[in-house]
Amino acid sequence: MLWISVYLPHLAMELRQPQQPRPAVVTDGTGARRRVIACNTTALEAGITIGMDAPSSMMREPELRLFDRSKADERRAILAVASWAHQFTSDVCVEVQRWMLWLEVGSSLRYFNSLTTLHRQIKSGIERLGYTAAIGIAPTLEAAALLTKHPDTMPILNRPEIRRTVGPLSLAGLDIGAKAVDQLHTTGLRTIDDLLGIPSDSLARRFGEELPQYLQRLLGERADVRRRHRPPASYRRRFDFMEGVESVDGLLFALRRILQEFTGYLRGRDVAIQHLAITLLHREKKETVLRLVTSAPQRNAAHLFALLREKLERTALADPVMAIQLSAAEFVEPRITQADFFDDPHQENDNWSALLDKLRTRLGPEAIRRLGLSDDHRPENAWCVLTDNTGATITAEYPDRPLWFLSEPQQINDVPQLLGAPERIEAGWWTGQDCSRDYYLARTDEGAHWWLFREVGTQRWYLQGLWA
Amino acid sequence: MTAESLQALLRSSPHVWRGGETARVSARSSGYAALDARLPGGGWPIGALIEIAPKSDGCGELRLTLPALKSWCQDGKSVAFVRPPHVPYAPALAHHGLTLSSLLWVAADTDQDACWAAEQLLRDGAAAVLLWSSAREERALRRLQLAAETGKACAFLYRPPVLSSTSPAAVRIGLSPVDGGMNIDLVKVRGGQPGRFVLPLPRPAA
Repeated sequence: MLWISVYLPHLAMELRQPQQPRPAVVTDGTGARRRVIACNTTALEAGITIGMDAPSSMMREPELRLFDRSKADERRAILAVASWAHQFTSDVCVEVQRWMLWLEVGSSLRYFNSLTTLHRQIKSGIERLGYTAAIGIAPTLEAAALLTKHPDTMPILNRPEIRRTVGPLSLAGLDIGAKAVDQLHTTGLRTIDDLLGIPSDSLARRFGEELPQYLQRLLGERADVRRRHRPPASYRRRFDFMEGVESVDGLLFALRRILQEFTGYLRGRDVAIQHLAITLLHREKKETVLRLVTSAPQRNAAHLFALLREKLERTALADPVMAIQLSAAEFVEPRITQADFFDDPHQENDNWSALLDKLRTRLGPEAIRRLGLSDDHRPENAWCVLTDNTGATITAEYPDRPLWFLSEPQQINDVPQLLGAPERIEAGWWTGQDCSRDYYLARTDEGAHWWLFREVGTQRWYLQGLWA
Repeated sequence: MTAESLQALLRSSPHVWRGGETARVSARSSGYAALDARLPGGGWPIGALIEIAPKSDGCGELRLTLPALKSWCQDGKSVAFVRPPHVPYAPALAHHGLTLSSLLWVAADTDQDACWAAEQLLRDGAAAVLLWSSAREERALRRLQLAAETGKACAFLYRPPVLSSTSPAAVRIGLSPVDGGMNIDLVKVRGGQPGRFVLPLPRPAA
């Protein structure tokens, strides 16, 4: 086993104000117990620290903005990162309260060439999701978690190394609660080595059974049994804005992130999508739903982003947007297994279907058409429009027909010179309408060829086609 | 400097146009020998804008490009009709041997959308785009020309009968019906021979 632990130290802050130039903190608790749990760099520079109570932090920085934490947002965010992480391994553990997740990579390491590559991919991937990541690598979950608090420490690759590496580290990074750490400090203990020098039973008497058991799990002397995270069967991700967003640009930032998360999830399950819905929840008005249908299975974040951006830019935001939500429930095989009717087999399939999607997004799904034939002798019904992959091409001999067809025949009064004998087409007698037509080829004075018919009942003349 | 090196230098420069030498233009046969003879490279120039101004709808404007479209279809390439004035009639296209699955019909509400769609198609994969537009601004035409160049595609721009005075198009053709065929007025042919002639067309067999 080799675990990569990912800790998101600034999660609460990053969810609140991603790029806040002014000093800001996120607090937990109310009244006298209200304490800082995350802060941005400007607040940090003002001397504010994690754990400081709210009144002291405001004394240090009168301009400070305080946000209440949202445990629901934190939970949603960390679970979305866990779903995203399945693209690297099927073995993912998560602890929402600790803002931490673990990926077992021992078995998948050979796919990623080296640990360095994998480390870099995970770290930069999480940064693209909008979070700062601290990474620790070790054979046990807790040792890996500990190393995330000591970013300069080298990864631990085998069990005997654990004790040697963690021994000199301070007690602060241990997951035993701030109170226990303080008590241990007062008894003069400074490092993990100091703590490990004390017999387990005396530790248990003073701090309870959990502390020695935790240390055993840290060193790999005790099994660490965790529930594994499972990616959800259908996907829904909601992103709440702190303040109503009135411009499309403000939405794009969140959209880019949730698409990154989503495509990571798709890769983790090895599926793709063709249908996707983005819901904008407004302050007052009814929600706006944008539906995206792609011509081929997709899971490319940049491509989906471009399509949705195009759609968003054409949507009028009548009311400020309070939250954006992505949902998808139908998943398909990621690769095209049978030749897509819309895809030219001789072209780069991906580019061509991406192009068609782009056209559909701007012009509407009905605007992109294929022509089809149907086995019907009535001119209006001998052809059809295909807007998707349905329909088959009929191979038969076709008579010489005009290249331009007027779906709505145009009544004419001056009949040009008729050429040849008429062709009688009985149309629609079975629907109760008698509309037998005599079709003629005609030549205008200018020399153009028209396709006319005379309705047998009314004797009226109509133009139906042009030999273009 | 020897004659050969001078020739090579001239040939390598895109800014030098050499009269009479058309072999370097890559082209697709129009299917009409009389027309090919006047076009540079012996056919519709690839990567270029071709303006066609029919006097009226139904004077042979589609049959002018059809043989080339058919050959692209046979190569498995895609051809798009963008904002045509009428329904391109599938049975007639099938009669002329076009592969329907290679044809794309793009509807657009505005001229602007149509030009945009044509550009995307030219740039990203279609072998030829037939666009019906009344766009006259040189900028719009230049964009089409550039998209055709980028995608090495043919941009056939069908436009109202009156051609504007200037255009970046490589070929400009006025069309009118005439007994037994169509009257072709090659107003401009970059690297070819402008002129007027009648292209015979078979009488419809319907």
